Amino acid sequence: MTKEKVIEVIAENIKENLDDLENETIDPMKSMKDYGANSLDMIEVVSCSMRELNIKVPRAELADIENIDQLADKFMEHADA
Amino acid sequence: MANNILNFSLADFFYNDNPDVLSPPDDFSEWINNPIVKHSFSFFEQELLDAPRVSTEILSNLDGQKRQIINLTSYNYLGLSTHPEVLQAAKEALEKYGLGSSGAPLLSGTLDIHTEFARKLAEFKQKEDCILYSSGFGGNVGAIQGMMRKGDYLVMDEKCHRSLVDGGTLSGAKMLFFAHNDMDSLQMMLEKAKGKRTLVVVEGVYSMDGDLANMPEICDLAEQYGAGIFIDEAHSTLMFGENGRGVAEHFGVEDRVGVTFGTLSKSFGGVGGFICANKDLIRYLKGYSSPWNFSCAPSPAVSGGLIKALEVATRDSSLRDKMWENTRYMKKNLLDMNLDLGGTKSQVIPIIIGNSGEKLMTYAEKMQKAGLFLQPVDFPAVPAHSRRFRMSVSSQLTQEEMDTTLSIIEDVIVKDMKN
Repeated sequence: MTKEKVIEVIAENIKENLDDLENETIDPMKSMKDYGANSLDMIEVVSCSMRELNIKVPRAELADIENIDQLADKFMEHADA
Repeated sequence: MANNILNFSLADFFYNDNPDVLSPPDDFSEWINNPIVKHSFSFFEQELLDAPRVSTEILSNLDGQKRQIINLTSYNYLGLSTHPEVLQAAKEALEKYGLGSSGAPLLSGTLDIHTEFARKLAEFKQKEDCILYSSGFGGNVGAIQGMMRKGDYLVMDEKCHRSLVDGGTLSGAKMLFFAHNDMDSLQMMLEKAKGKRTLVVVEGVYSMDGDLANMPEICDLAEQYGAGIFIDEAHSTLMFGENGRGVAEHFGVEDRVGVTFGTLSKSFGGVGGFICANKDLIRYLKGYSSPWNFSCAPSPAVSGGLIKALEVATRDSSLRDKMWENTRYMKKNLLDMNLDLGGTKSQVIPIIIGNSGEKLMTYAEKMQKAGLFLQPVDFPAVPAHSRRFRMSVSSQLTQEEMDTTLSIIEDVIVKDMKN
């Protein structure tokens, strides 16, 4: 699994779960909040992405993540494990 | 999961992809049956063997022992759940009306005591009318779900209670959360909702932190954007304000708040919830608020007792004065021990331990065995870096009980944290 693939999956789920983003390019250096996500949306995006990538990361480890790129890094750690 | 099982929490098993729909996720069972996880869960659902007074008895899940404890976890802020006049009124209502109301309020469940209680609550809150719910959770869900629709906007503080969030989800309205008590963030969200029917939702006292909504500025901003205001006064009714009407009274903004919610299970000592607002809105909610329309009306004994509880708590200020005196004493002494109490401004006092779930559970166990029942609050109920104990100060606390409590906290928490 490449990091590009992980970012692509996260970006697709952001577009699917949030309004008015169909034609946007998702910038990994931004946070989901920047795209209008509330905490419930974020849980949805993270859960859908983890299911799709077949990984399981404890939420407690996601508390300090600031943007989509860092989320992808965290996912990669668990994909390698 | 085997190597990091203790990093998992209830936040991680919400989605279930087990093909057997009658089973939880496979790894949930593996997690919950881990001995350390199991031990942390043994703090929950412990049985009280007597009334939820400050002084009561518990059957401990930790060692199976019955133990006399000082209970600072129950929400019995004014001790009304066992007040003799309240119990007498409940008994009389029970004798007269029986155990249940035997119907939803709309059809046959409305008793004269329900109408009387709702009228008295509306008078107390200085609103035109009031609707009673059998549960507090149902009241919040029902009000938000009953008022808001798809296309509307809810602008909620990110620390709002689950019942408000669930009401929002059920309503179909778009939910925007603003950073806790952050007025710039509130304004940003109001800007996004501009031109839409918008309700700002806040709590008087936030239940995990004990701090207060910044009502004067929230009112200014909501008015600037033409939004309505909903305040949840679950932890503040009967305690804040000169007349005990809540945080809106405390800040002098009652007439600027459109809808006010209160629970009947905390300071009131019973169970249920209520919404006060203008007559037309209450009339409308009775048409569309499902937890009112489709739940049995409150138990007569509870309503009978609650009418008396309202009278006892408001005929003078002695109960809340005592509660505040106890709160000041506890807060001062806890601060003197250099404990982190967050931004509490109320009788809800968090003692923030930090990010160690293990320490939290160890302290909880030691305190309980020493006779202090103070429940741990773990992630995901609070952020992982600020796991805590949450103390509910009651008017019932005696000087001796407060001093014993402080000495147990010092022995168990303060001495360990110094090491």
